[in-house]
Amino acid sequence: MKTILEVKKLSKYFGGLAAVNEVDLNVGDSEILGLIGPNGAGKTTLFNVISGFFPPTSGQVIFDDRDITGLKAHEIAHLGISRTFQASTLFMNLSVLDNVFTGYHLSYKTSMWRRLLRRPSALKEEEMLRQRAMEILGVMGLAPLKDELAANLPHGHQRILGVCLVLATNPKLILLDEPVTGMNLSETQTMIDLIRQIRDRGITIVIVEHDMKAVMNLCDRISVLNYGKKIAEGLPQEIRGNKEVIEAYLGKEATK
Amino acid sequence: MDNLRKKWYLSPSRINIRSGKVIGLVVLAIILLLVPVVVRSPYHMHLLIMVGINAVLAMAFIFLLRTGLITLAIAAFWGIGAYASALLAVRLGLPFWLALPASALITAIIAFCVGYLFVRNPGFGFIILTIAFGMAIVLVFGTFDFFGGYVGIINIPRPEPITIPFLAPIEFSRVSKTAYYYLMLFLVLIVVLAFYAFYASSAGRAWRAIGLSPRLAESLGVNLFKYRLTAFIISSTAAGLMGSFYAHYMESLVPNAFNVLKTIYAHVYAILGGIGFAISGPVVGALIMTISPELLREFKEFEPIFTGLLLILLVLFLPNGLLGLISSRRPVRPSESIARVGKWIRASLPVSSSGREDKK
Amino acid sequence: MELPFVQLVVNGLAMGVVYVLLASGFNLIISTPKILFIAYGEFYMLGAYILWSLVNELEFPFLVALCLAILATAILGGIVYRLIFQRIAGHFMAIIVAAIGLMMLMSQAIMLGFGTESKSMASVFTGMINIGGIRISIERAVLIMLTLAVLVGLHLFLQKTKFGRAMRAVSFNADVAALQGVNSNMTNLATMVLGCALAGFAGGIMTPVFAIHPTMGAITFVVLLVVMLGGIGSMVGAIVAGLVLGVTLSFGQYSIGGGVAQILFFLVVGIIIFFRPGGILGQPAEEMVP
Repeated sequence: MKTILEVKKLSKYFGGLAAVNEVDLNVGDSEILGLIGPNGAGKTTLFNVISGFFPPTSGQVIFDDRDITGLKAHEIAHLGISRTFQASTLFMNLSVLDNVFTGYHLSYKTSMWRRLLRRPSALKEEEMLRQRAMEILGVMGLAPLKDELAANLPHGHQRILGVCLVLATNPKLILLDEPVTGMNLSETQTMIDLIRQIRDRGITIVIVEHDMKAVMNLCDRISVLNYGKKIAEGLPQEIRGNKEVIEAYLGKEATK
Repeated sequence: MDNLRKKWYLSPSRINIRSGKVIGLVVLAIILLLVPVVVRSPYHMHLLIMVGINAVLAMAFIFLLRTGLITLAIAAFWGIGAYASALLAVRLGLPFWLALPASALITAIIAFCVGYLFVRNPGFGFIILTIAFGMAIVLVFGTFDFFGGYVGIINIPRPEPITIPFLAPIEFSRVSKTAYYYLMLFLVLIVVLAFYAFYASSAGRAWRAIGLSPRLAESLGVNLFKYRLTAFIISSTAAGLMGSFYAHYMESLVPNAFNVLKTIYAHVYAILGGIGFAISGPVVGALIMTISPELLREFKEFEPIFTGLLLILLVLFLPNGLLGLISSRRPVRPSESIARVGKWIRASLPVSSSGREDKK
Repeated sequence: MELPFVQLVVNGLAMGVVYVLLASGFNLIISTPKILFIAYGEFYMLGAYILWSLVNELEFPFLVALCLAILATAILGGIVYRLIFQRIAGHFMAIIVAAIGLMMLMSQAIMLGFGTESKSMASVFTGMINIGGIRISIERAVLIMLTLAVLVGLHLFLQKTKFGRAMRAVSFNADVAALQGVNSNMTNLATMVLGCALAGFAGGIMTPVFAIHPTMGAITFVVLLVVMLGGIGSMVGAIVAGLVLGVTLSFGQYSIGGGVAQILFFLVVGIIIFFRPGGILGQPAEEMVP
């Protein structure tokens, strides 16, 4: 399987503290990789570096055979990596449809000036993108809520909307930061199914998550971080029984 | 419920000729055009002209605010436009109708250079840099004789008369001010159209996204720096354009008219009207703030006290401004959008690493 | 020319310590209650004018007047926090607008109350001292010493006392501090009181040394730059940046004129901020969350 994302000896220091410490990662095309570890292990920081929000202190990020280390977030989005955020980061005062619509920013072909003057070609493209936004909403099950204010949605729907936004950018790789945290059982199942559907469309997914059941259920492979370092990697069943992983989560006492 | 959710600036307007909005605008246009017929006193005309200028300054502030940048350099660029135009006319003998676009261009270029440095530090740093710039500009205008020093520039020529075939030429006189009024309207119209194009178009969507949630916008591929810089240039150029008009209207300039305090007043106009209302808010705010000090002229010394008190009371009790009070349609809840800017700015303060996400 | 050189440096230090005090107080207020306190300079001016009035018109002894001035600004700061800022805590723009409003109100009120002329006052400490052939005015030396003492006291207060630690805790993360039993409202109030007291103190002690004038409040904007330069919230940065400014102005006034010196300072700050948005002692750009 082709490696679509390669992280080589990546480190990110804040002051003297290593949030990410020489992490290596290989993500294969169309696989679902889980990234787990106790709080503060550096998972979100790793996402931030990969997606361009922080430059790494050292190391490399290679995406699709292209070195993207140090590129800015919006450039990386252009190249096909998108991400969600831990807290529901949405355009709260816009409607659901407008949220997804904004996600199509990258897809505009007509120039900015044409759009400003609202020439017919721009308006036509806008209409087409609006259709596509509706399609995504339909697939993800949010179509009936299209005019609802994002702020008014229940938490689970907000997370799904976040994923819709990400899909609008037409990504090759998605980084999902705690997609099912705070969701009940049925919402979690919905999200899991949606994520599988997304993978079936050929999109590679890396998930940071705390919900072990979801992670074991969903991921093809799992990597475990603790204090910024990778301590284990492998298939879900291997990780499940891994002593070091259990120690990391529960402390040394639990394994005695 | 629907009118609460339908956001006026979000629908690509296919204008329905018969819609109430268009009729309202037409009526407004007629009223504005007929003002000089009704208003006779040159003093009142002067007030209206200043309202127009102040409104544009406030609009420029809001335009940039929508991308998440709080600027204190609006008056500085107003001054740059004014001085550029004045110097072109006085030193180089350029006619007003050339000096106007030329000074707008000069303002844009300076805005590009300055903005390029400033926009790189969004958040708190940006605010302070614009404050420094605002102060520095006044100092520069006042210190160097090239700009006339603290005495300023005098004898700035008026706009040359516009000749229309078969009609008498339109003269710009300080006595009647009518011609100035229409010129002001025209310039304000240009600025309003430009701003409106941004707000209501799909390109404007990216701008709004930046103001609503910069992180999210960035993750969706929006180049924050480019859009913010563009907004900075446009906002500053609008101010500079009105500056050029101001110079040739007042026929003299002093540096202190363009200090940071003036920008603060531009903020007041915007906030009084309601920050959520990008175009009508500034007009309302500028109208009230320009006219009322004149009504209270005997209490002139107390004016800053009143204004200061007004600001405090506004913030405590009327965060959505006046228009927010009377308008049933609520656009982006302004205090929220501002709070958002604030939260994000706070997150950029290096000392306070608050890991909290949403507050209210 | 060494004699004027040292003179200028000492002069610069004397000017600088005022900025240091103000920057420190400003930093306190920005770090803990998170207020961009644009009206800060007005408290400085208030302290100066109260001191002047008490000494020159009511013939109070200097020290008593100083204490009263500090008390006045401290109490006013507390009142202002309670009435205004506590109610809009967290709304950044509201805070800025309120601070601006307060600035306008206070600046005009003080001017109306105390008159529009610049005032000066007899020095408390007259005479010069001679150190190794260099003459330094005693009052400037005292100014520097006094500030040093206050800064040391401030440092000890922040590090060693319960209140000081509470202030630092709230400045890092108010929620976590609350979990540890810190009452953030009281802490913010106390910080505000302390900060305004510092401003009043600065205004009071500088009055005999430098003249006072009704636009003194505008010093806030310069203090903003000093704070930026030194790094927001950094006490050490405030000291360094404040002294740098003082010395720059001192040399600038002597050689190229005060106005140009100020412009130069702005330029320098601009350049430094460009490369290190966190200030000379702050964090580099990439560490900041976008």
